[in-house]
Amino acid sequence: METAVALLLAAVVVALLAVAGGWILGWANRKFAVEVDPKVTQINDALPAANCGGCGYVGCGEYAEAVARGDAAIDLCGPGGSSCIAAIAQIMGVDAGGALPYKAVVHCEADRSQRLGLTEYNGEQTCAAANLVGGVQGCTYGCLGLGDCQRACEYDAITIRNGVAVIDPIKCIGCKLCAAACPRNIISMVPFRQEKMLVIACSNKDFGSDVKNVCKIGCIGCKACTRMTSFITMDGSLPTIDYEHYQDGMDFDPVLAKCPMHRLILVGTPSPKDLADTEGESVPKVIEAQFETTVDKTEWRG
Amino acid sequence: MDTFITLLLLVVSWALINNVLLHYFVGACPFLGVSKRVGTAFGMGMAVTFVMTIASMLSWIFTYFILRPHAPVPQWVWELSGGAGDAPFDLTVLSYLLYIFVIAASVQFVEMYVRKNFPSLYKAFGVFLPLITTNCAILFICLEISKRLQDPLKLMPIYEALTMAVAAGFGFAIAITLMAGIREELELCDVPKPLRGAGIALIVAGIMAMAFMGFAGVESGLERALSQFR
Repeated sequence: METAVALLLAAVVVALLAVAGGWILGWANRKFAVEVDPKVTQINDALPAANCGGCGYVGCGEYAEAVARGDAAIDLCGPGGSSCIAAIAQIMGVDAGGALPYKAVVHCEADRSQRLGLTEYNGEQTCAAANLVGGVQGCTYGCLGLGDCQRACEYDAITIRNGVAVIDPIKCIGCKLCAAACPRNIISMVPFRQEKMLVIACSNKDFGSDVKNVCKIGCIGCKACTRMTSFITMDGSLPTIDYEHYQDGMDFDPVLAKCPMHRLILVGTPSPKDLADTEGESVPKVIEAQFETTVDKTEWRG
Repeated sequence: MDTFITLLLLVVSWALINNVLLHYFVGACPFLGVSKRVGTAFGMGMAVTFVMTIASMLSWIFTYFILRPHAPVPQWVWELSGGAGDAPFDLTVLSYLLYIFVIAASVQFVEMYVRKNFPSLYKAFGVFLPLITTNCAILFICLEISKRLQDPLKLMPIYEALTMAVAAGFGFAIAITLMAGIREELELCDVPKPLRGAGIALIVAGIMAMAFMGFAGVESGLERALSQFR
């Protein structure tokens, strides 16, 4: 008798609560319904949901809202690439036009053998700390190579090769995290109009011998490149490339050959021709990590 | 005055001495997960306090009227079905089921209400509000309240349950904000590689818990100091 009443009571309490809860929530759902712009949902579906924050908004959802409101440009999503931009443009009814995927580029190419004035730095192994100390290397503009950008990259696109950060443009999704992490601001976002883009691989703002004293390969500010092309201009002692006037099908070979320090480089996905050219060359061997410690080899004498 | 002293002791006890995070180790997932920035950690703490208050009030009502031994509703049903005397059963076994249900439903309800009426608050809470549904600290407080409603001679009144829930929520907020402050400072330190991330966070949490042990005894001392006002 009492078991029957207890069981019944328990079942009725739970069932009633479930019905009441369901009813209240259903009522609240209609009562407190917030009308969402259908564009927001559509844009949110078109975005890659990486939530990387590269667009400057907290997540893909907030960026979708900002685009639907008209507050944000449609081409801020790096991971989505051109297909995502085209989809958003279609939803918003605007022309995708010159919307391009951006990728990060390091404006320094000097490895440890090419930098001069190197000192032994045993402080904290981050660029941010080394940048504060000063005198770690001669060049106060170039890459420190302690890997702040590598740690910031969530897509494994950055490697430190002999003390200089190298970005793999195929892996880079353009989230700008590395550019924000670099204390020397030598990583910038380049609109990838083509598979391979011309960039300036130096950030040194000094002239001639001042550069030669600190780096074997730094840009000396000779202006040779500006005389040969229309889209390169000088900003102080450093050439800058105006990507607005960068045309398809330009021939860069003369200007690449003219630069005495070879600081104009092409970065991007290698073409089949490049791969064929470098086929015979030996590539540096990738060193496998050895997790064995010295303890493994010692004999245990307990 | 007596009530006031009891409430004060409850606040001190649940906010500092029996801190849900550092004494009972419940709610550790947001403690480690959302404690990277002071701003978000504080937001999480406030959201937990908010939900804890609502959920504990609802579960106090359910426990008081239905679940506890000698509760009025089962008693009424027992008499209705022809039984005599005290109802011989106790529905406390249902507490986990009902509390989870109450917490999930109230979080959902609060989320919808806040979204409609306070969009800025909704934005501030962000993803934390739905995440709190699975926060065990809230279920823990509901169960603690249930424990204090078992003895029909010593029932916890609703205002004490309210004070306890708010104080426990503040305790959570204090602990998670302190943790976030420490972790922000830790980013500037040279932590040994194997300990980076979760490892050092757990060590810090352990040291913080030990530091909070220092509060043990404050309660009895305070009670003695306040006893002259009783």
